[in-house]
Amino acid sequence: MGFGQILAKRVGYGLVLLIAVVVLNFTLITIAPGDVADAIAGDMGGADASVLVEIRQRYGLDQPFMSQLWRYLSSVAVMDLGYSYFYNTSVTELILQRLPATLLLIFSSQILAISVGVLLGVMAARKPNSLVNLCVTFLSLFGFAAPVFWTGILLIILFVSVHPVFPVGGMMNAALIDASFFEQSINIAYHLVLPMVTLASIYLALYSRLTRASMQEVLGSDYIRTARAKGLRENKVFYKHALKNSLGPLVTVAGLQFSAVMSGAVVVEAVFNWPGLGTLALQAILARDTPTIMGILFFSSLVVIVVNIFTDLVLRMIDPRIRAE
Amino acid sequence: MTDTAHTTELKDENVVATSPWREMATMFVRNYAAVAGLVLLTLIILFAFVGPLIHPVDPFEMVWAPFTTPMQDGFILGTDYLGRDILAAMMVGGQVSMAIGLSAALVSVTIGVSVGAFAGYYGGLIEELLMRFTEFFQVLPTLLFSMVIVALFGASLLTVTLAIGVVSWTAVARVTRSEFLRIREMEYVAAARSGSARDLYLIFNVILPNALPPIVVQANLMVGSAILFEAALSFLGLSDPNVISWGQVIGSNRPYILDAGFAVAIPGFAIFLTVLAISLVGDGLNDALNPKLRQR
Amino acid sequence: MKLAFKSLFAATAVAALMATSATADEPKTGGTLTMAIQQTPRHLNPAVQSGTATGVPGTQLFASLLRYDEGWEPQPYLAESWDVSADGLSVTVNLVKDAVFHDGVPITSEDVAFSIDTVKANHPFKSMFAPVTEVATPDAHTAVIKLSKPHPALLLAMSSQLLAIIPKHVYGDGQDPKTHPANSENVVGSGPFKLVEFKKGEHVILERNENYFMDGLPYLDRIVMRIMPDDSTRAIALESGELQMSGFESSPRNIVRLKKNADLKVSNAGYAAIGPVNWLAFNTKAEKLSDPMVRKAIAYAVDREFINKALNMGTAPTALTGIHPGSPFYDETVEAYDVDLAKANQLLDAAGYNKGSDGMRFGLSIDYGWPAMKPYAEYMKPQLKKIGIDVTVRSSADFPTWAKRISTWDFDMTMDNVFNWGDPVIGVHRTYSSDNIKEGVIWSNTQQYSNDRVDAIMEEAGATNDPAKRTALYAELQQILADELPLYPIFASPYHTVSSISAVGNASDSIWGTSTPLDRVYLK
Repeated sequence: MGFGQILAKRVGYGLVLLIAVVVLNFTLITIAPGDVADAIAGDMGGADASVLVEIRQRYGLDQPFMSQLWRYLSSVAVMDLGYSYFYNTSVTELILQRLPATLLLIFSSQILAISVGVLLGVMAARKPNSLVNLCVTFLSLFGFAAPVFWTGILLIILFVSVHPVFPVGGMMNAALIDASFFEQSINIAYHLVLPMVTLASIYLALYSRLTRASMQEVLGSDYIRTARAKGLRENKVFYKHALKNSLGPLVTVAGLQFSAVMSGAVVVEAVFNWPGLGTLALQAILARDTPTIMGILFFSSLVVIVVNIFTDLVLRMIDPRIRAE
Repeated sequence: MTDTAHTTELKDENVVATSPWREMATMFVRNYAAVAGLVLLTLIILFAFVGPLIHPVDPFEMVWAPFTTPMQDGFILGTDYLGRDILAAMMVGGQVSMAIGLSAALVSVTIGVSVGAFAGYYGGLIEELLMRFTEFFQVLPTLLFSMVIVALFGASLLTVTLAIGVVSWTAVARVTRSEFLRIREMEYVAAARSGSARDLYLIFNVILPNALPPIVVQANLMVGSAILFEAALSFLGLSDPNVISWGQVIGSNRPYILDAGFAVAIPGFAIFLTVLAISLVGDGLNDALNPKLRQR
Repeated sequence: MKLAFKSLFAATAVAALMATSATADEPKTGGTLTMAIQQTPRHLNPAVQSGTATGVPGTQLFASLLRYDEGWEPQPYLAESWDVSADGLSVTVNLVKDAVFHDGVPITSEDVAFSIDTVKANHPFKSMFAPVTEVATPDAHTAVIKLSKPHPALLLAMSSQLLAIIPKHVYGDGQDPKTHPANSENVVGSGPFKLVEFKKGEHVILERNENYFMDGLPYLDRIVMRIMPDDSTRAIALESGELQMSGFESSPRNIVRLKKNADLKVSNAGYAAIGPVNWLAFNTKAEKLSDPMVRKAIAYAVDREFINKALNMGTAPTALTGIHPGSPFYDETVEAYDVDLAKANQLLDAAGYNKGSDGMRFGLSIDYGWPAMKPYAEYMKPQLKKIGIDVTVRSSADFPTWAKRISTWDFDMTMDNVFNWGDPVIGVHRTYSSDNIKEGVIWSNTQQYSNDRVDAIMEEAGATNDPAKRTALYAELQQILADELPLYPIFASPYHTVSSISAVGNASDSIWGTSTPLDRVYLK
């Protein structure tokens, strides 16, 4: 199958998935007790029955289920995710506003986790009985077993309370609103450190262990034995051949983990008051802001689907074994 | 005379077949980390279930001044924001956290095994549909979705368990399916099939028992991650206030982190130890299963 | 000669002394104040939205007719003078002559009339302007408010966030004022500050209104209001100097901790008009709670002392009645129901609720509306167990769910926090009036309490301007309520304003906390 065909197939299938996600979310929110009207009324300080009827009419909540669903689907198709009564702005705008913060957090932590993880994994694979190997083992256990918010809280206690080095939360000192881009970036980076390290901690453990295992497997293979027999230098064997071939599983896992990374991001954002999609989701849930909740669920599913497609394609490119399929 | 007898004896020993379970157990026991994990887990379970008999304090009762630091006034782990004994909360909470972990894992495994088994056994269109169904759930953002379920339907033990179970089963399904695909082709299955054995019988009585080892490993992982999941939901405020669990203690004491960090650090540590023990055991099981490593 | 020299010397000395003291306390103009607010406001127009989330930024953007100083005395604001007629049926307000809106359009009596009409029609607090029959505008700077009966709460209702003067030329365009776009963007207000940016979930940024009608004010160039819902985060930011001021701080732990900081002024002055009272509310139509003996028993079981000492760490004043202890009408002689478990058990035994084999008589549920209330609800569980009531704590994932439950009477008991809003007519009557048993409306008479005498007292007290008469009436009211117990008041929310001593001057000078124009605040 040609590349284009594969891409088309994946994308087409991704769309079907997306529609299914939307339908599921919509159904769930509709069958749950209470609705947006109650939320709006609660927010206004209470409303009697006639006002509730008016609100329901205005938001089209008194229409039959299928017509509401159809209306929602068609608006989603043009990327109109609805209107958040709580924030008084369109959901799409709201999401786009908060998206950069979350992306920054996710990508910086993943880059940290992958680079340090691979480094540690390679070092551990090279010297199987060293301290590094032991460290990787312990680190990977800690990374999996420690609840991510606990790690975050410990870091806060250490670096904010006991030795105040980093700010306690937020993304940027609001007083810098007029400062230069450079100054703002430095300040954001300063606020980014703790959340980034917290989120990276889980995956760092995973990636280092994965790299080590992968490297060990490849190093024991015929391919490497042949290379060594041919007299290639150890370094070249190690880095050029072994490492390159071990990256496959890493990419797969990194891609698959993306959904989990987003979950982790929600918690980390809550711990550090990082103004991204995670805190938006939490606030929306606590305020029963249904359009926003659905918008975020839709959006994160969309991102996961896109990342899956992307990972799949990248894998095909770098791993010759799969290409042969 | 004696020589042949001796040889026969030796031959007999070599011929005795060990079941895969026995093999696994032997491998497991040789793995120190795994054994350590098992011991730790046992201690934790004893602490949670036998502890309250030795320390019969009601974790809901306000026994002393709030935020008494650990080791002060006779309270080994101190008191929380309402003046309730943290040690008692750790014991009773442990029961609940582990129970939720186990139940949620059970829900996950039930759904996952069913989906994976049918997909792997029948193949074709059924497999295609079931796998697409699995992929659908894989795409859903797990924490967000379970948060929404708990928020919409109220936070009770039941909703939390179901919410966790419903989003976590896909890994089990994948493992089950690949095992079924592998075992389906084996001779003894083909033999049973050619007889008049019914499908369901084959699935659950012939193939599944042999597919169990990797599923068990996965299930073990599920328990650990379910405990972590419940803790995350509680931290975010979505837990049943009438039930004390480790996550719930963390969640309720969260506003007081900076002044009484111990109230959050202690349950966090308990969760860490438990999940650590579970994953050490899981690692041991996994290594015991892996044929390549067996040769080491 | 000698005398003249002496007096000259004295005069110079006095002048010099005055000059130095003046410069020491003299407010400086300029600078950006960074403060915190605790929730994202829905929008910034307090004329159609209640709550301090909108009020704190809203009172910077919109001016009201009056403002109150720390001594509960009304001061001129947009109204430079006012007059209440002898029969109490008409109030004449004279506006400042040169006030303009943020877009330069003059503020006239038409805008005042329009604002009162808008608030009357859209604001949840119907009692503020219900007696207003019409607002006459004889000339551009005079408004005459005609009332159907004397309305003692009117002056208070014309201050702070309760009557924001909004521009008729913007809001009179036919759109629903509750969802008008100008509520959040391109806000055309009448107050000391203009809107620069409102980023939901992050901040509200305000800058000086150069055309503000009070000369020389505001002192500040800018105010940045950071939205920070987390108590601990705010506390740390205040300690580190990242924040210079924060109002409505009520977390006992934070208050105690911040008080220890030498550079922070932590003051509970100025919240008397907000008047926040926390109580345990009973659904008087629920099966067991319809029996007054049960309610009394619960009152005897709840230990206010423990709650205030342990949970509130001594930061919150005890509240014995539904009227805030800082109000001139507070009656502290009512029955306090000091904790007496034996008596509580006796009452329940006598009423026929016997203990079962597990020591429990019956079960009740308790709700709470938001996380800060949770500890108090949880306290009830072990405490009421001691008198044989099995309490189940119900959590609501979000505020609307709780609000719906309580307002549709789907509850037994709930912790609640309700504001007096200055005059009892505005914030107290709504809780006990049998006319205000409105299904679906939170903070109405959700206890479903009905007492004819209580209704009559409140009717009378709301129609007379005589303070002595009102004090006597409200005293009788509180005595009746303490006997019938539709709710059991426990404490007054310990709101405090925290400000940096070295950086901020004039942090609190009103009775409305930080929901008041911050035009006199300056940076040192």
